[in-house]
Amino acid sequence: MAALDQKSPNVLLQSLCCRITGKSEAEVAHQFQYAVRVVGSNYAPTIERDEFLVSEKIKKELLKQRREGDAALFSELHRKLQTQGVLKHRWSVLYLLLSLCEDPRKPSRVGSYGALFAQALPRDAHSTPFYCTRPGSLPLSYPERSGPGAAQISTSMGTSGISSLGVYSLNGPTPQPLLAGHPPQTAGQQLGSRLAWALPNTSALAPTSRAPLGPPPLSTRAPRPRHDGDLTGELGVGEAALVRDILYVFQGIDGKFIKMSNTDNCYKIDSKVVLCKSLRDTSSRLAELGWLHNKIRKYTDLRSLDRAFGLVGQSFCASLHQELKEYYRLLAVLHSQLQVEDDQGVNLGVESSLTLRRLLVWTYDPKVRLKTLAALVDFCQGRKGGELASAVHAYGKTGDPQMRALVQHILSLVSHPILNFLYRWIYDGELEDTYHEFFVASDPTVKTDRLWHDKYSLRKSMIPTFITMDQARKVLLIGKSINFLHQVCHDRTSPGKITPASKSTDSPKDAAELLSDLEGAFQGKIDAAYFETSKYLLNVLNQNYLLLEHLQAMRRYLLLGQGDFIRHLMDLLKPELARPATTLYQHNLTGILETAVRATNAQYDNAEILKRLDVRLLEVSPGDTGWDVFSLDYHVEGPIATVFTRECMSHYLRVFNFLWRAKRMEYILTDIWKGQMCNAKLLKSMPELSGVLHQCHILANEMVHFIHQMQYYITFEVLECCWDELWNKVEKAQDLDHIIAAHEGFLDSVISRCLLDTNSRSLLNQLRAIFDQIIEFQSAQDSLYRSALEELTLRLQYEERKKQRDAEGEWGVTAEQEAEENRRIQEFQETIPKMRSQLRILTHFYQGIVQQFLVLIMTSPDESLRFLSFRLDFNEHYRARDPRLRASLGATRGRRPSNI
Amino acid sequence: MASSANANNMNAVRETMDVLLEISRLLNTGLDMESLSICVRLCEQGINPEALSSVIKELRKASDSLKASDN
Repeated sequence: MAALDQKSPNVLLQSLCCRITGKSEAEVAHQFQYAVRVVGSNYAPTIERDEFLVSEKIKKELLKQRREGDAALFSELHRKLQTQGVLKHRWSVLYLLLSLCEDPRKPSRVGSYGALFAQALPRDAHSTPFYCTRPGSLPLSYPERSGPGAAQISTSMGTSGISSLGVYSLNGPTPQPLLAGHPPQTAGQQLGSRLAWALPNTSALAPTSRAPLGPPPLSTRAPRPRHDGDLTGELGVGEAALVRDILYVFQGIDGKFIKMSNTDNCYKIDSKVVLCKSLRDTSSRLAELGWLHNKIRKYTDLRSLDRAFGLVGQSFCASLHQELKEYYRLLAVLHSQLQVEDDQGVNLGVESSLTLRRLLVWTYDPKVRLKTLAALVDFCQGRKGGELASAVHAYGKTGDPQMRALVQHILSLVSHPILNFLYRWIYDGELEDTYHEFFVASDPTVKTDRLWHDKYSLRKSMIPTFITMDQARKVLLIGKSINFLHQVCHDRTSPGKITPASKSTDSPKDAAELLSDLEGAFQGKIDAAYFETSKYLLNVLNQNYLLLEHLQAMRRYLLLGQGDFIRHLMDLLKPELARPATTLYQHNLTGILETAVRATNAQYDNAEILKRLDVRLLEVSPGDTGWDVFSLDYHVEGPIATVFTRECMSHYLRVFNFLWRAKRMEYILTDIWKGQMCNAKLLKSMPELSGVLHQCHILANEMVHFIHQMQYYITFEVLECCWDELWNKVEKAQDLDHIIAAHEGFLDSVISRCLLDTNSRSLLNQLRAIFDQIIEFQSAQDSLYRSALEELTLRLQYEERKKQRDAEGEWGVTAEQEAEENRRIQEFQETIPKMRSQLRILTHFYQGIVQQFLVLIMTSPDESLRFLSFRLDFNEHYRARDPRLRASLGATRGRRPSNI
Repeated sequence: MASSANANNMNAVRETMDVLLEISRLLNTGLDMESLSICVRLCEQGINPEALSSVIKELRKASDSLKASDN
């Protein structure tokens, strides 16, 4: 290109620098060096030298800016360029232009207000008027608004969209210019001329946009020229004045014509004012906005003074306040419109003024929002804490997406404190709830021994509706476990180790995320914390405090599981306990207990367990023998006492009592049997006793059978079955509550099946009566044997003497001796019928009691007891005697085959 | 002849420059005629357009900050 100067690139660069910075050559030395360096280092371009590609890119860029006309224009120009063929490196020039291309709608690089607005003008002023003016879009929903905030209005985050009004008409000044910098959402670029007009407006507006404007003093206003909207005569009120009034009413301040009437609780237009009907109607409709505003304002003002309102309530008020701020911003813009018109004093035509109709249209959306807020305020009157959150949540169930978005936003702010409480509780076990807003309540009067059961409870009214009862219970359990570990188990591991602390709700945005995914993420968090904490707690209890071992020890000692130990103990205790109760000393018995422990397998037990085993003497009533007051005991303390509470221990002792008695009966009968076996042979020589002895044997057998069956029932059907169930549940238990519940269930079923609960009192009495009979029989038999044996020894002695005298050569017996002997034998034989009748009475009595017992058992609701009755009367011996039994037994027995 | 050829050339060049100016205005590059011609000459001499555009942007930034500090 001969025409162009062939200057060297350096010279060209320097002149470029001067040109762009507008300074002389000397001053741009720095920049020039930089430029040379940059250009020298990037010698080869990194992209394809494809002209077509570059031109396509340019077209795309133009289309992105929605300038289709410009894109077509560019294609024209490009074609022309190509035909001219002057340039050699077309692509390079095009690429340069493309990279220097700037979107006229983007905010400029410099962020100061003045410069921004100053620059906006030139750029727009010489752009081609191809911008489309579009009708305004409605205010944004939240997720979009919280995106890249505008440089100008940084406080628009997280608020409703009241202030971003769209352009509702092509004409007329709108609040739009203030938001000209917003990316795509704001619509409608102004035509250049309009911008020029609006510019002084925006610069005046910028500093005042944040605070709600006070009412501009009325007195300084020049009387406005009449507009076409006025239909009244000279005396009527102009629309402009009405508009001004309405703007005051919007803020809750009484205007000149429209005042708040407290009796009707609404805004009324002064009846003295002459107004045409349409204006009156429109003003009334607009005044509603002021009423709504007042309502919300009253609530927030009232509540912010209330110190006991709590965190949730405070966040609720804060969110309401934010919404009101947006509303005030709108009012500020409207005010400024009025002010501008006044200042300019020029009537720019009908289209540029603020009319009631325009107000109606523009305030439609804010009115809907304020209505929602006012309804929310009404609904939430007098609530606080979790209740408040539930109320807001209830309002979120609506189909209207705008309302739902608004309420969801408020809900996320409001529930943020609650979720904070919750996370602190489940991760740290701490509860700092001065205003009683959280649904876990702690009772400070409870001491550590009742910590698990009584200290923490659920405050049902404060459970928000978005948290289910199950989740709430789990939450309570988790915190309780952590506190339990700290205070009762003295386990000082930090809760961070138990559950890896996940990110807690640091901001309302997290709360919103969580709320949107309550089923998944929230439940997951709670479940994870629950499993980890409970597992850790159970580990600590089992390893450090040997909970399961203690459970088994209870079974072995208090429920007579360790057979050899119990037997030996009973052997050792027999002589002691036969004495009256008042003569017993505890330390004696404890010594015997230890002897028994050392002599049997019990010595191999854990030392922890053995040291808790002890003897307890119950309260002594007069006439008691040792048997009645003896009892074993097991000391519990610390965390174990949470499972084995005092009630549980008393249950255990009752059961022990019962089992011990039954065992004693067994013991007695064994003795009786032993005696019978021994003495039967001895007393064979006394044929007159054979009848009595036979009766004794029969009765003893009956009793043995009975006690045998009872023992079987108690040991196998009651204790073993319940224990098995308990053990299964304990092994599968996931937290301490499960264990406690299983344990209590175990004790309850044992007690009811051992006939110790209140329903089976009559049965128990029968059983006791039977036991008493056995004891009586024992004593009767003892006395029988004693006298019989005495007689036997006397007779033997007599025979001995006779033999001796024979051996000495004398008469065996003298006549008197013989007579004496015979008399004695006679006397003896006379006592036999007495014994026989005594035994008969005993037998009769015993059988009667057993029959009654059987009858009661037959009608019992417990199945195993009914089966017991079959076993007790296997040969229908009692059935034959008792017509009642015949009827009831027969009835069931008849039914039984049919059931099979 | 040479002069007419030259004149033709001049015309063609002027036209090209006009077209380029028009394109530049379309794209809002902010370059005026003289800067544009300097740039075109630099590009024709084979300078990397990427480097050149970054230089220009840098210069503009510097000039703006200078202006702002002056204010």
